[in-house]
Amino acid sequence: MSDADRSADGPTVTIARSPIAAPEPLVPHRGWEVSGRRSAAALTITDLTPLAKVAVRAPMDGAVQRALGAPFGRAARDGAPALDGTLVVGSGPGEWLVLAPVGTAGEVREQLAGIVTEAGEFGTVVDLTHGRALLRLRGEASADLLAKVCAVDLSDAVTPDGAAFRSSVANLVTDVVRDDAGGVRSYLLHCERSSGQYLAAALLDAGAEFGIDVDGFRDPGI
Amino acid sequence: MTQGSTATATGAAMRLGPQPGEVIDRNRTIEFRWNGRAYQAHPGDTIISALAAAGERVFSRSYKYHRPRGLLTADFLDPGCQLQVGDEPNVRAAHRLVEAGMDVRSQNTWPSLKFDVKAVNGLAGRFLATGFYYKTFIKPERLWPAYERVLRKFVHAGEVSPDTEHGYYDKRYAHPDVLVTGGGPAGMAAAVAAARAGARVLLVEEEHHLGGHLRWGDDTARAVRAELAEQVRSEPGIEVLTDSVVVGRYDDNWIGVMQRNLPHVVERLVKVRAKSLVVAPGLVERPYVFTGNDLPGVMLSTAARRLINLYAVKPGERAVVLSANPEGDAAVADLQRAGVEIAAVADARRGQRVVRARGRGGVQSVELADGSRIDCDLLVTAVGWTAPTSLLNMAGARPVYRPEVARFVPDPAHTPDGVLAVGGIAGDGTLDQLREHADAVGREAARRAAQLAHRLHGALPTRPRDAAPQPAPVTDPVPIPELPLAEHPELFFSTHGFVDFSEDVSSKDLVTAVKEGYDSVELVKRYTTATMGPAQGKLETVNTVAIVAAATGRSIAETGTTTWRPMYAPVTLGALAGRSFEPIRHSPMQPWHERHGATPLVAGQWIRPEHYGDPAAEVRTVRSGVGIIDVTPIGKLDLRGPDVAKLLNLLYVNKWSKLDIGRVRYGVMCADDGVVLDDGVTGRLGDDHYLMSTTSSGAATVWEWVENWLQTEHPDWQVHVTPVTTAYASINVAGPRSRELLGRLTEGVDLRPEAFGYMNVRTGTVAGVQDCVLWRIGFTGELSYEIHLPASYGLHVWERLIETGADLGVVPFGVEAQRILRLEKGHFIVGQDTDGLTQGYTAGLGSLIKLDKADFVGKPELAWQAERGGYPQLVGLLPVDGDVVPPEASQIITGGGHIAGRITSSRMSPTLGRAICLGQVDSGLAEAGTRVTVRLPDGRDVEAVITAHHAQVDPEGERQRV
Repeated sequence: MSDADRSADGPTVTIARSPIAAPEPLVPHRGWEVSGRRSAAALTITDLTPLAKVAVRAPMDGAVQRALGAPFGRAARDGAPALDGTLVVGSGPGEWLVLAPVGTAGEVREQLAGIVTEAGEFGTVVDLTHGRALLRLRGEASADLLAKVCAVDLSDAVTPDGAAFRSSVANLVTDVVRDDAGGVRSYLLHCERSSGQYLAAALLDAGAEFGIDVDGFRDPGI
Repeated sequence: MTQGSTATATGAAMRLGPQPGEVIDRNRTIEFRWNGRAYQAHPGDTIISALAAAGERVFSRSYKYHRPRGLLTADFLDPGCQLQVGDEPNVRAAHRLVEAGMDVRSQNTWPSLKFDVKAVNGLAGRFLATGFYYKTFIKPERLWPAYERVLRKFVHAGEVSPDTEHGYYDKRYAHPDVLVTGGGPAGMAAAVAAARAGARVLLVEEEHHLGGHLRWGDDTARAVRAELAEQVRSEPGIEVLTDSVVVGRYDDNWIGVMQRNLPHVVERLVKVRAKSLVVAPGLVERPYVFTGNDLPGVMLSTAARRLINLYAVKPGERAVVLSANPEGDAAVADLQRAGVEIAAVADARRGQRVVRARGRGGVQSVELADGSRIDCDLLVTAVGWTAPTSLLNMAGARPVYRPEVARFVPDPAHTPDGVLAVGGIAGDGTLDQLREHADAVGREAARRAAQLAHRLHGALPTRPRDAAPQPAPVTDPVPIPELPLAEHPELFFSTHGFVDFSEDVSSKDLVTAVKEGYDSVELVKRYTTATMGPAQGKLETVNTVAIVAAATGRSIAETGTTTWRPMYAPVTLGALAGRSFEPIRHSPMQPWHERHGATPLVAGQWIRPEHYGDPAAEVRTVRSGVGIIDVTPIGKLDLRGPDVAKLLNLLYVNKWSKLDIGRVRYGVMCADDGVVLDDGVTGRLGDDHYLMSTTSSGAATVWEWVENWLQTEHPDWQVHVTPVTTAYASINVAGPRSRELLGRLTEGVDLRPEAFGYMNVRTGTVAGVQDCVLWRIGFTGELSYEIHLPASYGLHVWERLIETGADLGVVPFGVEAQRILRLEKGHFIVGQDTDGLTQGYTAGLGSLIKLDKADFVGKPELAWQAERGGYPQLVGLLPVDGDVVPPEASQIITGGGHIAGRITSSRMSPTLGRAICLGQVDSGLAEAGTRVTVRLPDGRDVEAVITAHHAQVDPEGERQRV
């Protein structure tokens, strides 16, 4: 059962909203209001804020890290058997963010808590689904766009597919994950939820010269 | 073949027939305006080439003496070609491409460029003598405002309208292996070689096209240019930036590049971190100093060749050429081919010299050293080269002067590993020799870059752990052939003339400066301003040095040069600023606030509702009914682990060991010096789970503070801290009817006072949203509940509270109403009622500070403060005249006029109908009932009385405990 389903109680429908203004048409998706806009542009930006986002803290190179399958600086898809369909991001030393399909935060949190318990290390699991804004840039020019707002070397030699780092993007602390999709260069960017609209606007501004367009949410998004 | 001038279009009297290397598009003609008159041009023309094609020779008036100035270098550096284009002043018009509709004007000329009355300055030389900045317009001092008004009218810098629209500027970062600065033959060859060796190359060229001097060379030169340009184009590893310039080199090859030719971007600053830098700027042709050398019609050989070969413009009708090198000879050939009559060639290699040019408004005759006088309208000089070594100097290298080649030459032995030089700056030789040298340097630059990359990449966590190891780079250096240096006569000056055309500094000025005791070239520079103008020494430094050397009897090598510093080329402030990246933060309820007319308040990065029209009414509603406020910015930290209580005991001044699950407690943090750092409440949600709140402005500081203590002092403690400020939307429901309102929407929490008392915390469901945290606390002094709910549902819950509470008269209230409410209640705000010196006891925290705790941050200082006493105190104050609200920061003074405190917070209380205040006063004034004098900003004094409590409304706290 999704978060939204569990909380949709009573005559008023409980709607979860992203901090990023969604272009029309607005459509419901598992309790969230998302954009149904479709774009065929070569460079797109998509609001993935509705995805489940669960943070894990544990020793940097211990049993939890091995179980999650992603060391600091790297992201791994389906890193652990219990985490099918997720992307585990080694976002900091001893810090991970697990991205999962919309509405699965509770299940993922439980799975992660199990992993931590089994590892026997001091570790904690916190659901940050509602605490972070999440965006995806997709297109070969996405690195050129990011190079206008981020000082990190985005070459394959330094940040290949699967690289994860925290840096300043448009002067905002942002976690960046190189997550190529279908052979096309792509980046996930997540920041404090309250600055999500700012980050989206900054990326659209930087991407104007590359013809960036907004593409709506597509399930599963990750 | 001679191609005479053919008037191909109106206003193109000096336009030549097609030239093999021309860069203009003759198929199109565009129109622009010059000083109000219409002119024609072809795309590819610079503003100056188009005007020169129309027969114009004078483009500006000089800086001090307003002498007519024409074309000298026909490139970016040309000092006489800075013009106003529309709203943009100081445009380098010999570089800027002309565009249809451009409105081009001369700068600082009145009433016209041709008849500029300010030319009278030439007769007022006494006031503009050497170092006049330091000699004139100084006394009498009282006249300085008048001097300033007059001098401002003579400022030589165009005009910027205050109505000018902000241009779009931005930045970009780049991380090439090799940055090649200069796209001449050597730069191109080095770039190709580096790319073929596997390097990612950024090739930066100041001109609009690659090729350097090959562009205006002969058929062979143009063929080589085409070949190299094609090699560059076909190398995928090379990115080319034309009309761009490297403006500075800093440590570890942190390099600024100014890119100018982008659509919709005025200028872009590219911040480059290059592993290797290849410096390939070529050579800058040096002007010759002689009497009349600034007359329009005196130009460098490269300028004449650019005009003819690139823009098909005939530079003049009858020319004298002073040549000391093959390039000068080539200029003679080009002039002849263009149909210019060569009246004389003075061969400097055989000792011939030009000593004077005469004319009014332009060259009319030239005198040679042998006394001959030749009528002409064009004097072309080719007397040598300046090596623009700026980037090498910025890298720490000290190029040395070689008299036999009459220029400074880099010293590779004293150049950093990551910096190499190719092309004319490194030496001479045939084109093949230059290419061979550049090829080797390019490969070596790539090798050094690969070595550095191998060292750096091995430590990167972002690369896959199981990736195949990168192959070790080649370790053997690439042999680099020596470049020969061609002998060249030392030719700097013959008679007195202008040295710095930008600043109107003559060789006489330099000699005078030396006579006045300024015998160091660095002092001469600052005293005379030579080399300090827009050309920044590229044209005039070596001549300045040579003249100072001659005046002091030293050699050029002994005299040395001035220091080259960034920026190499002028940079607009817009480019340095780039886009305005100032992150802002919104709560999930922001759309509602905007729809309902909230007045926005900028609070740090947050945009908050200050009020919804009437803050006093909002206060009254909260006191009498119920209101809701968006308090999302309150800092929130999720604390988990068995050692959280230890952490809280360490950081707060009060005790935390016995906080039960379901309880919250107020706490204050002090820094090591006992100064109040932050405050807030922390609730215990589970055995090892706490939620800490901080002030809105202190959220980031407290997070860092907590992590700092954990990571540096107590890494053994098992505590994890997660900032969750924006994971929760936070709403305070306040007022006597808040329980009633919340009860309509809450499930799973018993709100009755006996079940959920003051300073307790519960979790439950609000408006259908699970996992909400409800705190019963009271910043407003009323019965109130602070709800922290999953942020994505914030707007939903807010709207439900407004809808559901309609019959209760619920209203939203903003930050201003909250400030009033808390002031009535006497709660202080960290940072407003405290400052950087306010220690805990001063803030009135005596009952909270527990000095019997074993340890906590700030304890020694607080213990000392308690022991010594006599500290200022935060007190409540009531102005005797309740209608007067002393502005915050009003001083509290003693009878002798000494400052004894200040008002820290003040408002008109809607509840009490009178002014109320908090303030800090000296200890002797803190007793309740003491009357103090408050000095208002307008100088009036008012009386105020110290009150027994900070709170003026419900000091016993009965309203919030119901």
